[in-house]
Amino acid sequence: MQVAIASGKGGVGKSTITASLLYFLKDKYRLIAVDADAEAPNLGLLLGVEEWDKEREHIGAKVARINTETCVRCGICYERCPYESIYIDEDGNYVVNELTCEGCNVCGLVCPVPGTITLEQARSGVIRKATTKYGFPIISAQLDVGRPESGKLVTEEKEWAKKLMDELNLEHMIVDSAAGIGCQVIASIGGADLTILIAEPTPASLSDVQRAYKVVQHFRQPAYLIVNKADLNPGFTALREWAEAEGIPIIGEVPYDRAIPKSMAMLKPVVEAFPDSPASKALKEIAERIAEEILG
Amino acid sequence: MQIAVSGGKGGTGKSTVAINLAVELARRFKLVLADLDVEAPNDHLLLGVELAGEEPVNQFMPKFDYSKCTKCRKCAEVCEEHAIITLKDGTPFLMPNLCSGCRACEIVCPVPGAIQEAFRVIGHTYVTETPYGFTLVTGKLREGEERSMPLVVEAKKRARNLNYELLMVDTAAGTGNTVSKAIEGSRLLIAVTEPTPLGIHDTELILKLGKLMGLKTWVVVNRSDLGDVEKVREITEKYGAEVVAEIPYSENIVRSYVSGRPIVLEDVPEAKIFRELAEKVADFLGGDE
Repeated sequence: MQVAIASGKGGVGKSTITASLLYFLKDKYRLIAVDADAEAPNLGLLLGVEEWDKEREHIGAKVARINTETCVRCGICYERCPYESIYIDEDGNYVVNELTCEGCNVCGLVCPVPGTITLEQARSGVIRKATTKYGFPIISAQLDVGRPESGKLVTEEKEWAKKLMDELNLEHMIVDSAAGIGCQVIASIGGADLTILIAEPTPASLSDVQRAYKVVQHFRQPAYLIVNKADLNPGFTALREWAEAEGIPIIGEVPYDRAIPKSMAMLKPVVEAFPDSPASKALKEIAERIAEEILG
Repeated sequence: MQIAVSGGKGGTGKSTVAINLAVELARRFKLVLADLDVEAPNDHLLLGVELAGEEPVNQFMPKFDYSKCTKCRKCAEVCEEHAIITLKDGTPFLMPNLCSGCRACEIVCPVPGAIQEAFRVIGHTYVTETPYGFTLVTGKLREGEERSMPLVVEAKKRARNLNYELLMVDTAAGTGNTVSKAIEGSRLLIAVTEPTPLGIHDTELILKLGKLMGLKTWVVVNRSDLGDVEKVREITEKYGAEVVAEIPYSENIVRSYVSGRPIVLEDVPEAKIFRELAEKVADFLGGDE
């Protein structure tokens, strides 16, 4: 089974909760973890990964380059770039800003001088694999800064993970997705059997998890909800009301607990570092429910 | 002039810093705040305002006139997103979700009128007057759409068309090209981080981006009592940046966050940190001219 974990909003505890759930579920299932936040990957850190045993460069991005020798400075590329990624430098040369170029090649197509603008392959980042000290493998990625299309890296990660699942006869893939609802998250949720949403009881988190849920609905998947920092904001009932109205089962609530940031500093899942803390007890119950009701 | 608030990792408090700085700086500058976290825009919620002035962001997509199409396949060949597929005989079809609206297909099509202009709404921009003396511009990607870049570009354009002295942009999490698009043109980059190992890891990435873009970069350490600020300082110095403020974990900030009322408006110690930071920013901007 492939389970995606998403939240819309960043920093609500996706990776913390994912690491803890993996810690419990590893005893019962043969798992693989995928950190699908290619722009800010943290799951490996939380699982204590220090070295990666394999690393692949991913050459997927494309960037335009302008040959200033043959450029006639007509400015058509500058006018036509859909993303305003061409600028004029101090010497009057037209230059592509590689940190914002989407690689669509419109500049190359409109340029009147053949060969002046070329679309070149560029490294978009790396994909890595490690075996965690808990025995299960993890696939992670790192987009190079300023590169487009982190979704493609996530798709590559999941392909690698699927291959490993076949080779190692693994049962479940747990995908920790990025913040937001764009290409990385769509690549994370697409192809999953179900998504576990994580939200905290604040207006911002509610707004963002509602948007993430629309993506889940788009893929016609079942969704579940974990409420993190559940006691943060006692008067705020809108999150639970929304889940109920949408028929999204709440599989558990995790209280705000200072043990969590402490465990993060130790680079350990909270359930390992502070097994008796209130958050850890709640996470253990949630893992048991996931085993019973979802993974079977 | 423009400044940016970003941070690498999600949930470090970018929006909290952005809105509080905006409220303070609006006392000194005619200010526009642009929420360019188009996948999860929240500044309006933190400011307790309802989004207003909605405008759709229409993205070009090709519409084939099959009576004119010669089935030459050039449109499909040139599409970097592989959004156009062709049947065996060369008849093109569009997969709208993959289309980035770049018009490459239209440019190469040899038959006038065979590709016609169609549009689809990929999201919205908003212009909201806040009760705090500044204007908020928000970009919001439609759910199910993959590409946030066009929304960032449009929202930023809409903000730039307003009348302001200081444009402040609040970016998404991460360090991909939509974040660099949002930051582009800034005189100062303020990176909000937290002193956990994860926060430090992601701070390094945003510092790298700031350096690549040649930007003056400041670091604000949020929840500074939850980790080792010295480590943040080390990494910050390595990139020629500096730590300019530390904000301890605070129930007051959580309450203000939840209630949609900026904390700089309250008479609490935390408000002072934001006021001092705003002053520092104002001094920097003023002194730089």
